Amino acid sequence: MKVSAILAVIIVAGAGLRPVAALGEPYLAVEMGFKCGQCHANPTGGGLRNLFGNAWSRSQLSARNIGAPDRAPWLGQVNEHLSLGGDLRADAERVEVPGAETTSELRLSDVRLYVDAQVVPGRLSVYVDERLAPGNATTMEAYARLTSATGSYYLKAGRMYLPFGWRLEDDNALVRQLSGINMQAPDEGVEVGLELDSWSAQLALSNGSAGGPETDDGKQLVTRIEVVWPAWRFGVSGLVNDADAGTRTAVGLFAGMRLGPTNWLAEADYVDDEGLGADGRQLLASLIEANWQIVRGHNLKITYEWLDPDTDVDEDEQSRSSVVYEWSPIEFVQVRAGVRQFDGPSQIETQNRTQIFLQLHGYF
Amino acid sequence: MPGERLACTRIVRTFLWSLAIAACTSCAGTGEGLDENARPIGEAPPTGPGSENALYREIQDTVFTPICVACHQGGNAPLGLRLDAASSYAMLVGVTSVQAPSLLRVEPGNPDSSYLVRKIEGTAATGGRMPLGGPPLPQDRIDLIREWIATGASADAATGAGLPFVVEATAPAAGEKLEVAPDRILLAFNSPVDSALAAAGTILLNERVDSLATVGTPDWRSVAVATVEVPLANPAVLYLIPAARLTAGRYRVKVLGGAAPALADVHGHVLDGDDDGRSGGDFELTFEVLGGAVP
Repeated sequence: MKVSAILAVIIVAGAGLRPVAALGEPYLAVEMGFKCGQCHANPTGGGLRNLFGNAWSRSQLSARNIGAPDRAPWLGQVNEHLSLGGDLRADAERVEVPGAETTSELRLSDVRLYVDAQVVPGRLSVYVDERLAPGNATTMEAYARLTSATGSYYLKAGRMYLPFGWRLEDDNALVRQLSGINMQAPDEGVEVGLELDSWSAQLALSNGSAGGPETDDGKQLVTRIEVVWPAWRFGVSGLVNDADAGTRTAVGLFAGMRLGPTNWLAEADYVDDEGLGADGRQLLASLIEANWQIVRGHNLKITYEWLDPDTDVDEDEQSRSSVVYEWSPIEFVQVRAGVRQFDGPSQIETQNRTQIFLQLHGYF
Repeated sequence: MPGERLACTRIVRTFLWSLAIAACTSCAGTGEGLDENARPIGEAPPTGPGSENALYREIQDTVFTPICVACHQGGNAPLGLRLDAASSYAMLVGVTSVQAPSLLRVEPGNPDSSYLVRKIEGTAATGGRMPLGGPPLPQDRIDLIREWIATGASADAATGAGLPFVVEATAPAAGEKLEVAPDRILLAFNSPVDSALAAAGTILLNERVDSLATVGTPDWRSVAVATVEVPLANPAVLYLIPAARLTAGRYRVKVLGGAAPALADVHGHVLDGDDDGRSGGDFELTFEVLGGAVP
């Protein structure tokens, strides 16, 4: 059987499974009407791509394929019990800060290796997300996951990324910065997930120390509930972190919609943190993102983000506008080029910087 | 069901359009009416350990507050590291790094071994350079942090201005002639003394021996010390209590700050005994007892 036929079978079969999601970025999930677990080993997205995710990216995301048609393609599965994957991101970046010398840098910004050991295939697995660079290896996620026989619910325990809003690839997005929940700050705890038809929900209990040592008796509760339909989705997130430094409460709304050739993402988050300032502070952040897949392998992403670091203070708001072009020339390779303009109070120069970047993203 | 789905579609569309409109009308602030950290002018400056220290205050105001606090604040600060003014000192100085447990985030006196410096210089063993996703800190800000750590990373105002650990006052005073021998000798420092180092090995009590053999070059003999005490109520003070009442004679108290063992403060500042503005050098106090001890 030819490779394309194999992939077609996998994709058609996978799409028919219905709890369906994305590869790499949630706009792809919005475009396809999938749930995160359709393409990722992790039901909440990010990290290792599963069989379907790899097949889909190879056949649908890249502009063309260079693999020999008579050779089996890489689909992530070493065997029934073991899946591997990885991400590598190398950046060339230029940053202009008003009143300061312009800097430019080439750097290896992220190398990840994912391992999913299916101890009992489909039911019990051990998952590890190891960051290999920059610096020494660091375990970002390591958990065991027990899935029900029907796949409608699961229990995770260990170190994991928590579920809140959109799981964006960009950890520096203002909404991810505000919530403090991103792929740089895993936490240790347990998570229960429900995957019911068009519903997806998670509830996690964690230390609330964002990967740091637990120094008090308080814990963090995080939840994310999402309804997914083919052309749109809508969700709510909530978080309560009971810490000695002050209780932090966050709520968020997020949505996605396919409108013609474009896919839209939106999120708005509100945080009330008693540990900020003398009497606590309330913060707001929002994101709206449009993706236009011009032709296969080419995507234009335009994002506007806004952050109010203290709702009681005027003229301290910050924004970030981005235009990013994403080109996937061949399978498992993506080139991203973009400009981000940061705006904020003129007193803080770094909040008014311009960032121009070119990123090579390889994944498998 | 189709009706419900249509209603939900409208909700999602309304939400998207609302945010799109909000995005078009929500701009970044101008900073008008705000101070250099985009806080209201006149707002009481946040305080916390370290805020009395001029160097540290500058680091807080020009690095931590405007840059790092964007992420490192509140209950979900990465790795539990909060860098707001009220928390930063306690979270950094003498605290073990989560990413590199063999290092302290800030090791007083040793910027090269301080994980904070490695993170901002991009030489840390783990993770990316800080600020993550932002431009590197200007070299003069890195130098400022290095200077603060090299001078002891003190929270105290006096030492925090770059002044090292020194003796500020003594009783008896230098050169004082006492009719009655004191039962204890007091040394007051500008920073809390590391009580573990306050011992007879770092603080010596001598009596001058005058003889024909030592004319022109005084000789000193050791006087037994019963205890060296750092009171809990005021750890910047140290009492030297002789084992026996001092008899008439000339005495010298020598506090070692040169070669080890040397006295240091709780921040690791070694004594600047010779008052040259840098750690190191022995401190000497001489006084004379004219009469004997009170019976």
